[in-house]
Amino acid sequence: MTPTLIECRGLARTYRRGPELITPLDQLDLDVDRGDFLALMGPSGSGKTTLLNLIAGIDRPTGGTLTIGGVEISGLSNGALADWRSAEIGYIFQLYNLVPVLTAYENVELPLLLHKLSRRERHERVATALALVGVADRSSHYPRQLSGGQEQRVAIARAIVTDPAIIVADEPTGDLDRAAAAAVMELLVRLNREMSKTILMVTHDPGCAAHANRTLHLEKGRLVESGLAAAH
Amino acid sequence: MRLLPVSYAVRNLGRSIPRLALSVLGSGLVVLLVLGAGGFVRGMTESLRRAGDGGNVLIMGIGSEESIERSEIPASTASLLQATVPGLRSEGGAAFVSPEVHVQLPIVAGNGSREGRLILVRGVTPAALLVHEQVQIVEGDWPRSGHDEILVGRLANTKLGVPQDALAVGQSVRIDGRDWHISGVLAAPKSLIDAEIWMPLNDLKEATKRETDSCVVATLGEGPEAAELADIQTFCRRRLDLEITSMSESAYYSRLAAFFAPIRVVVWVTAVLIAAGGVLGGLNTMYAAFASRVREIGMLRCLGFRRSAVIVSLVQESCLASATGTLIACAIGVFFLDGLAVQFSMGAFGLRIDAPALLFALSIGLCLGLLGALPPAYRCLKLPIPESLKAV
Ligand SMILES: Nc1ncnc2c1ncn2[C@@H]1O[C@H](COP(=O)(O)OP(=O)(O)OP(=O)(O)O)[C@@H](O)[C@H]1O
Ligand SMILES: [Mg+2]
Repeated sequence: MTPTLIECRGLARTYRRGPELITPLDQLDLDVDRGDFLALMGPSGSGKTTLLNLIAGIDRPTGGTLTIGGVEISGLSNGALADWRSAEIGYIFQLYNLVPVLTAYENVELPLLLHKLSRRERHERVATALALVGVADRSSHYPRQLSGGQEQRVAIARAIVTDPAIIVADEPTGDLDRAAAAAVMELLVRLNREMSKTILMVTHDPGCAAHANRTLHLEKGRLVESGLAAAH
Repeated sequence: MRLLPVSYAVRNLGRSIPRLALSVLGSGLVVLLVLGAGGFVRGMTESLRRAGDGGNVLIMGIGSEESIERSEIPASTASLLQATVPGLRSEGGAAFVSPEVHVQLPIVAGNGSREGRLILVRGVTPAALLVHEQVQIVEGDWPRSGHDEILVGRLANTKLGVPQDALAVGQSVRIDGRDWHISGVLAAPKSLIDAEIWMPLNDLKEATKRETDSCVVATLGEGPEAAELADIQTFCRRRLDLEITSMSESAYYSRLAAFFAPIRVVVWVTAVLIAAGGVLGGLNTMYAAFASRVREIGMLRCLGFRRSAVIVSLVQESCLASATGTLIACAIGVFFLDGLAVQFSMGAFGLRIDAPALLFALSIGLCLGLLGALPPAYRCLKLPIPESLKAV
């Protein structure tokens, strides 16, 4: 059996707004195995993005423990957490978040600037990542010159270029048409199967969720049921 | 710390050309203003400082130490001084003792202007050229006594508000209904004397119906036999009948400079206030520029870039814009402001855009870049990453 990569125990995130306490995530227990592909579903406001952000290390839990790869995330300083993110996490956004003034190539190169690599090593990695997502011929184009689907593929190249163990994706197909969404899902499946990336994906589309190994449902900050999707 | 590439900052400048133009123009104007104020203050101070000479002693009437123009001393003072105090400078038999009359007279120059404007007219003997070493005749000749001739300073036209060629050699000016011909042009670089009119001492006395001199300027000699200021002070005290007193010429002019200190303060305060307005305007454009990039900045931090790396990049961007404006302003300052003549009650002087003024302007430009970027950058970066990722 594959060892557990992500371990949430009693995980909670509370916001205080005036006298009011908002708890988008409450007493959540979750184990994610290495190489798993997990789909997170649930109504709007159920805490899906909140959970993703905690696992991606861009937010901090207010209760419970979150251990990833044996590292207790909430114990890291801000700087150490940033370094950890840049090594372990690839984040794919719904709205791509490419830098408009950088070319596709430069956008993908961006996360590598945080690593000790020569210009040549960087070039090789960027070229590999762009080829993998199928936009190598667009590497000198700016985001405004790309279609939404191409932008998202560049964003996926950016997420995998540092070879992180975990990829989190928040509604990665939310802004795409059916064909482009299918291409993106196909890519994610390949990343999971061929490169054994552990993937957590938030989606509203059961069709997309069907590509995952299993689907979790969140409701009011709690996991309500979990099913094992049939493996292909 | 891993930084963002400089090219990112450079290209961010190009996101909005109107905003870039605004930033460059704004910082350029602020720096130009500071440069103008600095040049004004330096020019004024320097012109007063250079009007006096540390080796010269002024002898003037008791009670008029504040103003040579109000001073009256007997015409015999110069020769008495020369006869009584040994050790004054002399060369080839010519003593460095210059009796002078200083008087503000309304002068009509050029055609058109009916009303005269006040300008300092100095009645002098050829000894004036000895004691005032900074003065040179750059054109024409020394005025001949009894021929109604005068010398004009190069900035006299600024003081009189007439074009340069109205005071060219061969032209004439009217003083109290009488024509005076310009026999030559004098230059005393960066000194107040540049904005004076000189004429033979006796002619001026006759024209103004006065018998007294205003002052005597004497240069102290050099070497062990040289006279000191104290010797001249003793002479003044012994000759109670002359009612004279003495002080070093540079002390007199630095006192004048101190008298104008409030003007310089007002100039600075005005410049600083307008510059502060410029900074606020600049802040505003930067707020707008950075605010539209909150989500992108959230993404950069999500990738692992530190807050500090983002700040460096934003500051680079803002400093690049302000540096461009600053350099343009400095070029304009050097080519168009430097030497630009301004008049004030004492005379006229040229703005002085020199190395210290430029250095000061450059550092102001840098501060603009920094100050303009930091508060908006802070506002963008204080948001937690999840919230910045939600920004539109
Ligand atoms: N910074 C915050 N301050 C206060 N409340 C917050 C904050 N961020 C999120 N919340 C609340 O937490 C709850 C969960 O938000 P979250 O973004 O995780 O929902 P979601 O499941 O991703 O929804 P959606 O499907 O619409 O994206 C919401 O009720 C939201 O109002
Ligand atoms: Mg969400």
